Amino acid sequence: MEDFLYFFTFQDPSITWVVLGITLLGIGSAYVGTFSFLDKKALLGDAISHAVLPGLCLGFALAGEKDPRYIVTGAFLSGALATFLSSWLKKITKLSEDSIIASILSIFFGIGIVFLTVLQKSGNPEIAGLNSFIFGNAIGIAETDLLLYGGLSLTIILVLSLFLKEFRLMVFDPNFGQAIGFPIQGIRFIFNVLMILAVVIGIQAIGVVLMAALLITPAAAARFWTNRLSTLLILAGLFSVISAILGTYISFVIPQMPTGPWVVIFLSSIALLSFLLAPKSGLLPRLFSRKRYVKQMHRDHLMKALFKAKEAKREVLSLEEIRALYPFHKKEIEHSLQVLTKQGLLIQDPQGVRLSPQGTSDAMRIVRLHRLWELYLNEFLHIAPDHVHESAEQMEHLLTPELEALLEQRLNYPALDPHQVTIPREAHDA
Amino acid sequence: MITQVSHPVLEVHDLTVSYEQHPVLWNVDLSLPAGKLIGILGPNGAGKSTLIKSIMGLITPTSGYVKIFDKALPEVRSRISYVPQRESVDWNFPASVLDVVVMGTYGKLGLFRRPGKKEMQVAQDALEQVGMTPFASRQISELSGGQQQRVFIARALAQQADLYLMDEPFAGVDMATETAIFQLLQDMAAAGKSVLVVHHDIHSAMNFFDWVIMLNLHLVASGPKEQVMTEELLRKTYGGKLNLLTQVTDLIRKQDFNPLQR
Repeated sequence: MEDFLYFFTFQDPSITWVVLGITLLGIGSAYVGTFSFLDKKALLGDAISHAVLPGLCLGFALAGEKDPRYIVTGAFLSGALATFLSSWLKKITKLSEDSIIASILSIFFGIGIVFLTVLQKSGNPEIAGLNSFIFGNAIGIAETDLLLYGGLSLTIILVLSLFLKEFRLMVFDPNFGQAIGFPIQGIRFIFNVLMILAVVIGIQAIGVVLMAALLITPAAAARFWTNRLSTLLILAGLFSVISAILGTYISFVIPQMPTGPWVVIFLSSIALLSFLLAPKSGLLPRLFSRKRYVKQMHRDHLMKALFKAKEAKREVLSLEEIRALYPFHKKEIEHSLQVLTKQGLLIQDPQGVRLSPQGTSDAMRIVRLHRLWELYLNEFLHIAPDHVHESAEQMEHLLTPELEALLEQRLNYPALDPHQVTIPREAHDA
Repeated sequence: MITQVSHPVLEVHDLTVSYEQHPVLWNVDLSLPAGKLIGILGPNGAGKSTLIKSIMGLITPTSGYVKIFDKALPEVRSRISYVPQRESVDWNFPASVLDVVVMGTYGKLGLFRRPGKKEMQVAQDALEQVGMTPFASRQISELSGGQQQRVFIARALAQQADLYLMDEPFAGVDMATETAIFQLLQDMAAAGKSVLVVHHDIHSAMNFFDWVIMLNLHLVASGPKEQVMTEELLRKTYGGKLNLLTQVTDLIRKQDFNPLQR
């Protein structure tokens, strides 16, 4: 708790710097990542983040120490080479994009690991710091380095904001963009540069192995919540910043703990929650609305049974008779009885169960919809009368009053359904 | 039966196009009059879309050239409007109907400038012309095929061009919408715009177009509807590919390089 307060009250200026840096980094990478996610280029980000390792090691070897300028330049160049190679190979070979990207990823990362091992054997005392590039260590970044990473992040954010319209066009409809004379190739080039930069700025804090997660996961999680690009960008940025700060906090509390894996854990939790909870597209809301629908279906069936009994001149059904109607849905029937009585649609007395006036009207509507739909199927879709019941069983719970009015109109307010049974209407309508 | 015109709005000169080593258009040479509603007819794989894309500069031809308003494409780009095939984009992209239609104003806006009030108004007007005003803030993923098509046409209208190139704007569109869109295109032609439409239905082509181009890897016909919509030319267009041409295509594909490419 003490650590928590110490960290989040920003008493330590170096923590303030790190949090500020990681915030910019989170926004920048989520911003770029959202576009590459929408462009269905998520894998490319992963390839680039692995591919920066050899350049990073070479930069270190050249500088002889952990000079961020050398490391960033080296990493950028090797990321650029990987990006160029993947698009060049795609152009001149018939290999599929995913196999090209997978090969580039593993080849570059393999070479990088070889370089790293050689450097480790060299006995350079500075080498200890290099390991943090694999899984990242946000808390260990020096303030001067932060200035470089933060500045680059800010550049990414600014360029993307400036090019928002162009990138939107590049992702949604590049052919149209080209047709109206936009330099789509150039725009894509700038985007690729931003993408490589977004990877490079994250290597120290998050690490090369997991940087792709910070690019793609925020957008993937945010996509569950919104259909608007602006909201998507803001949400992705928010998710990314929250996870990045929490990951940094863990690195702060537990010494030697890498930041990257924790950022990924927090990000994945957000993504999982989004997948479960997001309205409409989330798993649980969909499950619940299905459940609600099934409950309503059971209630409708009970009302229908009572209405049909009434048509056969039996106002009251005993509880035993009702239970006997649905031997496989005992629990549901009890529940429906309870709810409908509470809603005032059913009246229960010692003789049994009957429909209230409002209940009669509601039940009549369900039966009416059922028979109207049967007639519609029979007359307009030419389906035989003995084949229309199943579909009507479903549609009676779904049809809206507007569709009901349209059905009545199309069928010209019919009196009988295909089974020659009366279609029931209220006295004042009939 | 190829009718050439003087002062054409569009001139295609000896255009040959191949994808990698697969020739898809052979020596297309035609010129089109202004202010007409023009249909491009032909069977699947006849090169209809390829012709439109080559005119739009999206594909580099192996030989030949295109002149629009007697100029090269880059000089007159702002006067041309293009409707790609509906399936060419991902309709799950997070955007509203208005967002997409506003893209039609990007060409005149140029790089960096954001669409403002004026552009929004142009987009709204275009939406009204295709009867999609009530859908302006709807997400494009929620549209039906016909509605998506109308959004694309609205985007083209927002370009406020003189020549319109439309790739299959009637694919997946119901009869009522098709008639409404044709009516709109005829009005545009009457107002002096030239409209070039890739189309597949001979019956409606008969009713609506002023001028018809028939393609089947090569140019079969180009001329006023009354003159080219004959049984003989239709049979030439739809009655299978020329056997010799197919064999030559196969021959070229078997080479290790593309002999048509200079």
